[in-house]
Amino acid sequence: MTVIAPACEAELAEAIRAANGPFAIRGGGTRSPAADRPVLSTAGLVGVVLYEPGALTLVVKAGTPLAEVEDVLAAKNQRLAFEPMDHRPVLGTSGDPTIGGALAVNASGPRRVQAGAARDFLLGAVFVDGEGTRVRNGGRVMKNVTGYDLARLQAGARGSLGVLTELSFKVLPVPERVATLALACDTPGRAVAEMSRALGSPYEVTGAAWDGARVLLRIEGFADSVAYRAGELARIIPGLAPADEDPWPALRDGAALAPMERDIWRVSLRASHGAVLAERLREAGAAVQLDWGGALLWAATAPGTDLRAEMADLGGHATRLRGQGSTPARHPDPAPVAALAAGLRQKFDPRGLFAPEG
Amino acid sequence: MQTNFTEDQLREPGIARANEILRACVHCGFCTATCPSYQVLGDELDSPRGRIYLIKDMLESGRPADAETVSHIDRCLGCLACMTTCPSGVHYMHLVDHARAHIEKTWTRPWPERLLRGALARILPYPGRFRWAMVGAKLARPFRRLVPDARARAMLDMARAPIAAPSAMDQPQVHPAAGPRRGRVVLMTGCAQKALDADINAATIRLLTRLGIEVVIPEGEGCCGALVHHMGREEEAKQFAARNICTWMAQMEGLDAIVINTSGCGTTVKDYGHIFRNDPLAEAAAEVSAKAKDITEFLATLDLPAPERHGMRIAYHAACSLQHGQKVTAAPKTLLQAAGYEVSSPADAHLCCGSAGTYNLMQPEIAAELGRRKAGTLMALQPEAIAAGNIGCMTQIGARSGVPVVHTVELLDWAWGGPEPAKLAQG
Amino acid sequence: MELPSPNPAILDRRAEIVARLKAALPAGTVIDDPRGLVAYECDALTAYRCPPLAVALPRSTQEVAEALKICHEMGVPVVPRGAGTSLAGGSLPTGDAVVIGVARLTRVLETDYADRIIRVETGRTNLSVTGAVEADGFFYAPDPSSQLACAISGNIGMNSGGAHCLKYGVTTNNLLGVTMVLMDGTVVEIGGAHMDAGDLDLLSVICGSEGQLGIVTEATLRILPKPEGARPVLMGFGSSRVAGACVSDIIEAGVLPVAIEFMDRPCIRACEAFAHAGYPDVEALLIIEVEGSPAEIDHQLRLIRGIAERHGPEVIRESTTAEESAAIWLGRKSAFGAMGQINDYMCLDGTIPVTELPLVLERIGELSAQYGLGVANVFHAGDGNMHPLILFDANKPGDLELCEQMGADILKLCVEVGGCLTGEHGVGVEKRDLMTVQFSEDDLEAQLKVKDVFDPKWLLNAAKVFPLAVTEGRRP
Ligand SMILES: Cc1cc2nc3c(=O)[nH]c(=O)nc-3n(C[C@H](O)[C@H](O)[C@H](O)COP(=O)(O)OP(=O)(O)OC[C@H]3O[C@@H](n4cnc5c(N)ncnc54)[C@H](O)[C@@H]3O)c2cc1C
Ligand code: SF4
Ligand code: SF4
Ligand code: SF4
Repeated sequence: MTVIAPACEAELAEAIRAANGPFAIRGGGTRSPAADRPVLSTAGLVGVVLYEPGALTLVVKAGTPLAEVEDVLAAKNQRLAFEPMDHRPVLGTSGDPTIGGALAVNASGPRRVQAGAARDFLLGAVFVDGEGTRVRNGGRVMKNVTGYDLARLQAGARGSLGVLTELSFKVLPVPERVATLALACDTPGRAVAEMSRALGSPYEVTGAAWDGARVLLRIEGFADSVAYRAGELARIIPGLAPADEDPWPALRDGAALAPMERDIWRVSLRASHGAVLAERLREAGAAVQLDWGGALLWAATAPGTDLRAEMADLGGHATRLRGQGSTPARHPDPAPVAALAAGLRQKFDPRGLFAPEG
Repeated sequence: MQTNFTEDQLREPGIARANEILRACVHCGFCTATCPSYQVLGDELDSPRGRIYLIKDMLESGRPADAETVSHIDRCLGCLACMTTCPSGVHYMHLVDHARAHIEKTWTRPWPERLLRGALARILPYPGRFRWAMVGAKLARPFRRLVPDARARAMLDMARAPIAAPSAMDQPQVHPAAGPRRGRVVLMTGCAQKALDADINAATIRLLTRLGIEVVIPEGEGCCGALVHHMGREEEAKQFAARNICTWMAQMEGLDAIVINTSGCGTTVKDYGHIFRNDPLAEAAAEVSAKAKDITEFLATLDLPAPERHGMRIAYHAACSLQHGQKVTAAPKTLLQAAGYEVSSPADAHLCCGSAGTYNLMQPEIAAELGRRKAGTLMALQPEAIAAGNIGCMTQIGARSGVPVVHTVELLDWAWGGPEPAKLAQG
Repeated sequence: MELPSPNPAILDRRAEIVARLKAALPAGTVIDDPRGLVAYECDALTAYRCPPLAVALPRSTQEVAEALKICHEMGVPVVPRGAGTSLAGGSLPTGDAVVIGVARLTRVLETDYADRIIRVETGRTNLSVTGAVEADGFFYAPDPSSQLACAISGNIGMNSGGAHCLKYGVTTNNLLGVTMVLMDGTVVEIGGAHMDAGDLDLLSVICGSEGQLGIVTEATLRILPKPEGARPVLMGFGSSRVAGACVSDIIEAGVLPVAIEFMDRPCIRACEAFAHAGYPDVEALLIIEVEGSPAEIDHQLRLIRGIAERHGPEVIRESTTAEESAAIWLGRKSAFGAMGQINDYMCLDGTIPVTELPLVLERIGELSAQYGLGVANVFHAGDGNMHPLILFDANKPGDLELCEQMGADILKLCVEVGGCLTGEHGVGVEKRDLMTVQFSEDDLEAQLKVKDVFDPKWLLNAAKVFPLAVTEGRRP
């Protein structure tokens, strides 16, 4: 297997221009199935370009390992607020996730429900498109509506519009205190109702998940404020009690489902529909978890199950993270929308070099 | 905003004023959001910003008014919500007044409209004539379906209201204060109001005299001129106004206020100073304007005794002329609360009810839609009665509300020793 | 600033175009009277004006689709319009274009508090979206100062922001889904009540595309529970420079207020005259708002005060009543209008890294002296989004051109220090020709490709955003 690892944007552009067949773009390689395509690696595009804690901005090369980014920020008591998930437990891969990879799949953890997704913290991007042209979009300031937002369009595009080389993010201070509250609850309907109550309160819940047995709520901020809000939440949701462990990384990564010998799905849908689908899937024998107040459903289903058949009336989209089936891994868009997406891919990658692998 | 007037045009004081107003407008569009006609029609030409533009275009070109421009200016209620909203202090009222006068001078309306407007101008400002017209209309009501013009039908509908008998109380006279005299006011007894509802003046006089205020109704006062003013009949309006100014100037000594209980009239009287700014009467007019007070505005300056509480749920409708025209917003509600009523305000309180002087006669469809919306938001408060400070609003809302609509001063009179308002007793 | 000259072939077919539109749409939908068209000749940027060929004010997505289909078939350019409050000339027509306005699409289609979403027609004004949910304790977060009047459609068109975006993000962060009509009349649903896209995040390019990709008729928006309380504090400083330094210190310290707004003396005076908010008469004023329970508010304000004290403020005053807070915000949100009472102005919108605030404010002062035009500043300081208002006399020949030159210099300065041309008002026609300062040819070409896909004939609002020379050959 050929691996091309350009050391700079110019080399990357050169490699793309010279290509005559599709690549597999690799960041840390934590998500990708083994491919028969030549690998185009961003491992050579690393390092922090600019970090201004006073302006809450970080500009970083796309191949920089996430862990390194997080260390740099932690040194100034700041962080990436979108809590990118780690795909390794579910996919059984190794390697170090990169910041570019995280953005390319718009990897967002439990804080998505309150603070937003990776896309929401992105300020700008540089990428090289399928013709080897370097494109810069956005910038490094908090508000920017100059021209079309092509940077955000890269979030979730999985490299299909170009290879990301440099990204800028808004970062946030690490809160003084984090608290997790738990409530025993074994039905998804009630879980979503309680999470909705919490998220509809003014107490700024930054995580609302259901692990199958408990509703888990997270609050963050100044110590006094966290104590106060925890108290208020317990008042409106009787039975809510402090939990000592930190369940969030495991929830973020679907760690509890990972060891099961099943297909793993991640479904984004409206919160109340999360409860409906969870109930249906449970009846069908799947293991289910909810995050984002119900708007993100994790399911471990019997191999080959077509989960989408269960949600035809609900809207939203389902991604099969792991497993093989007759249905595509990604949710097909309705025809006119799919046509727009295909049109964009055709424009940015006319030779199909970056066509997603699945 | 940029304007394009010639030096010559600017020498005309009306144009100079219009230019000043137009220059202040930044075309931000804030005013569109609170304009009732825009809320109903959704066309910027029926919004303040659009009208300002139409007026600018008409005045700059110096050409006669045209059908399109006239139709949009005619749909303006004159509610002045746009002035409350405008952060730039654009004096829409003076601009549209100028435009209406220009239209009246340069545009010939189709004859049925001319007839209607002429009739209104000759009837409404004269309570005697108005009363007779109402009787006539009452007789014609059974034939309503046969009337082809919506505007004429609206006129007949007005006659649904009972016709008030002429009252002895609002004839020219002096009502002495009960007990020691604490003040002296002139009461403007209105024009159309006394033909539609005699109870309002009666309650005003009872309440004021009971509070120690001498109430003078001078011989010679009449309509404020607003009705014809809003039709662009500038000269007629000035004649009405001049007569009032002279009448009231004779009473100025020791006078605390000219009290007005129809807020539509109040807005106009407060503008006399501007209307006569280039006139020998300028100084007198300014003095009259300065003395003019809405009844609630005046009552708010008095020490009031403890009320007799009737604990009623009242929805307060702020008449445009009061809230936007005169910026009297707190006094009516504060007084009603002080009088022991439970007072609430509806959603979209800034929106006009659609009565707007003769508007409900000229633009019945828009007026009816606004009336329906207003009655809806008021009734959502589940009130036992609705209070308003303007007879036009009372009629407009009363036709749609299902609970009695009373004048604020009637409720105040009741709480401070007067009889229960007849409208409540009947309702 | 130049608009493309209208296509004579289209002007010649005016009668036919209007007749077809009138035949397809209900009575009262199409305006073609020349007097009436004049009122649609501009938006809130009145320096540039051009009456359109016709205006259509449809009442449903279906009617929008009908109108677009006809224009597409006949090759007629279209300019989408919301409330026409753009400060960049976004809804400025061209002489051969049909303006399609969504002002009559104002219904709330669905409200769901459990899922915290609202679906509205996009002609609905920003503030009335909050109005529809506030009695139940919710609000729609993006709050442009024009929120009373501007429509959700325009907010999506411009990806609008506002004072409270420091905490809650701008339109793109609060938009979940849209119904959009493409130029050929196809109706597409993008996103929905769920979060994030299944495949490409098309919403991200639609939001902020300035009416160039399609006409958005419905939108699903995220609504949030209202905070327990909020309190603004006024801090007056002896110079803009010091106030600017205070802002970056606050951000650096990790206290994140919901809003940090800046006003200088000319603005303070104008706003005070309108809103009677009790603004101190100082050289530079910060309005800083924090949220939460009373104790949380006190705590945060203590921290902020501590930082501010180091900069020697002349006044620090907290709002004590709800009415006072409302007046403080009314004044701030009316700032542009209030300034209009005093002078004509051109409002800029560049964004810079907050750390550069003191430097840039100083340079703007120098440019003001150099050009002999006054500048008033009022802006969202917390995220570095500046609004210098260049004061000029619109009735004085040559002043506008001078003002445009000075504006261009200021925006170039913003780009130079690492910022951008526009933070929330959009490019429109106003900053169109400056795009090459911020973007290379390739950067721009990549953006044009997006329009190629959504609107292959380049009929939608095509004279905006990109320099005419760059789009030459694509535009019809
Ligand atoms: C006094 C004042 C203060 C302001 N303050 C702010 C502020 O604080 N923050 C801020 O961000 N902006 C502000 N603005 C600018 C302006 O209000 C915003 O850009 C607003 O979002 C425009 O909305 P609108 O409905 O008026 O849109 P319009 O001006 O009508 O249109 C704006 C753009 O959107 C496009 N568009 C409109 N409708 C549609 C549709 N249905 N589909 C697709 N495209 C469409 C138009 O073609 C145009 O390009 C302010 C403006 C004024 C006058
Ligand atoms: S609010 Fe005032 S300044 Fe703004 S458009 Fe209306 S009248 Fe003009
Ligand atoms: S007076 Fe009333 S109806 Fe007339 S433009 Fe102003 S707000 Fe609209
Ligand atoms: S009658 Fe209605 S129009 Fe007059 S002032 Fe009343 S609210 Fe406006």
